Amino acid sequence: MGIGIEIRGLVVRRGQFVLRVPRLSISPGESFAVLGRTGSGKTVLMESIAGACEVSEGSIELDGTNVRELDPRDRRIGLLYQDCLLFPHLSVVDNVAYGPQRMGAGTHEARWHAQELLELLGVGHLADAHPNLLSGGEAQRVALARALATRPGMLVLDEPFSALDPTTRGDIRDAVRRVVRDFGCTLLFVTHDFSEAQEMSERVGIVLDGRLRTVVDSTLLLRTTHEDDVARFLGIQP
Amino acid sequence: MHRSHLATTRRRELFPVLCVATSAVLVLFMGTTILAIAANGIAHLGLALSSEEVMFSLRMSVMTSSLSTALCMALALPCAWAMTRGGLPCRRALETLVELTLSLPYIVLGFALLVIFSSPFGVALRDHGVSVVFQPAGIVLAQMAVNVPFALRMSRTALYGVDRRMEFVARTLGAGSWDVFRTITLPLCRNQLVSALVLTWARGMGEFGATLMLVGVTRMRTETLPGSIFLSISTGDTDTAMATAMIMLLVSAAALTAANVLGGHPVSRAEGAREV
Repeated sequence: MGIGIEIRGLVVRRGQFVLRVPRLSISPGESFAVLGRTGSGKTVLMESIAGACEVSEGSIELDGTNVRELDPRDRRIGLLYQDCLLFPHLSVVDNVAYGPQRMGAGTHEARWHAQELLELLGVGHLADAHPNLLSGGEAQRVALARALATRPGMLVLDEPFSALDPTTRGDIRDAVRRVVRDFGCTLLFVTHDFSEAQEMSERVGIVLDGRLRTVVDSTLLLRTTHEDDVARFLGIQP
Repeated sequence: MHRSHLATTRRRELFPVLCVATSAVLVLFMGTTILAIAANGIAHLGLALSSEEVMFSLRMSVMTSSLSTALCMALALPCAWAMTRGGLPCRRALETLVELTLSLPYIVLGFALLVIFSSPFGVALRDHGVSVVFQPAGIVLAQMAVNVPFALRMSRTALYGVDRRMEFVARTLGAGSWDVFRTITLPLCRNQLVSALVLTWARGMGEFGATLMLVGVTRMRTETLPGSIFLSISTGDTDTAMATAMIMLLVSAAALTAANVLGGHPVSRAEGAREV
């Protein structure tokens, strides 16, 4: 079952950078893209929701619970960074089994379920491989399997496709869409690619210069009238 | 203006040449030192190895260094974690304070320990059975005083090298702090920690100044290998001194070899395969 997100008056300070999100609601099971330039604050927003960044002001609620009361391991979030961050000292299957083992599953049981997930994502044959030997696309699939292994209520992806070639990118996008549908989880992903945002999400939030500027239906992204700087970012006539 | 043909000779650069030349000077300098020990020590090595006193000092050095190293790392690792991940206030000031003694002469450290354990506090400890002045336990304490800042600095450097995002991913997968430390942080900096452990041990083997001040050098009681060399030189027995130094050289070589072997990168074989 997907997790809903409710953000009110959010301010996150990270060094000199400040992110402001006045208001944002994401429904359970929704696919939501955060779009913006590099350095605009997209990743800070993602990490604030996941728990890697402390909230300075305002609130983030996950299914009605304030995140200040939730340790990252209790937020039911599956996290996927752009560079995958597979644990290099563990095999592929042990990477995916890591989460279930931490949650009490026995080694054999966790590995069995991990193998199932890897098969689902088309990389079952790489179970005993070392993460350093994987291609970019393979590593992304394994990282996706690892994120899904704990049955998260929300999948949070940080520019997961940007480093991949077009063919692999398409395959991984299909895999993400399929698992989000099958697992019923909320999808929140960060991107700077307009077409990706439109293709993968129901709604798009645009973050510029540390502020959430607008939230719009993904089909209307390039057809809605925006403020001048948002329009310039999208490459449409202000 | 352009070249009419490709250059047929490689450019000669000064920087690589300077580095290689500097390496040659360094190897010559250190090699001469080692050669001086080996040349004089090998001839009398058999004598030293059959000496009850030298063997006692070897056992004392190995035991005290091993114990002090274990205690150093047991203190340094949690402290390093607190300093790099614990959100301690005034972290930089604390780091400076703890590592301040790195630049102090070890004899000064030993003297400070002597003052502490000769004070009413030290006397009270002695009355309760904890005695360190002129005792073998004092050797362990002296080695710890010298090595804890070193072990801490190396441990901190090791932990700084671990990607915090990887630890965070582990947390989102359900791992608590101890689980993250045990299953992610430690394995990822294993090589550096092994090096820290071996080098701390080697430093413990060679520690003398602080030990001399706190414990003294009593034959067959508080005599470590450096202490044995000191006593031999003091009595004019340079042959035994050099032979004992040769033993220390061999122990040092074994420790460094162990550090290099144990500290090998766990994925080096996989990376090598990938390059092929």
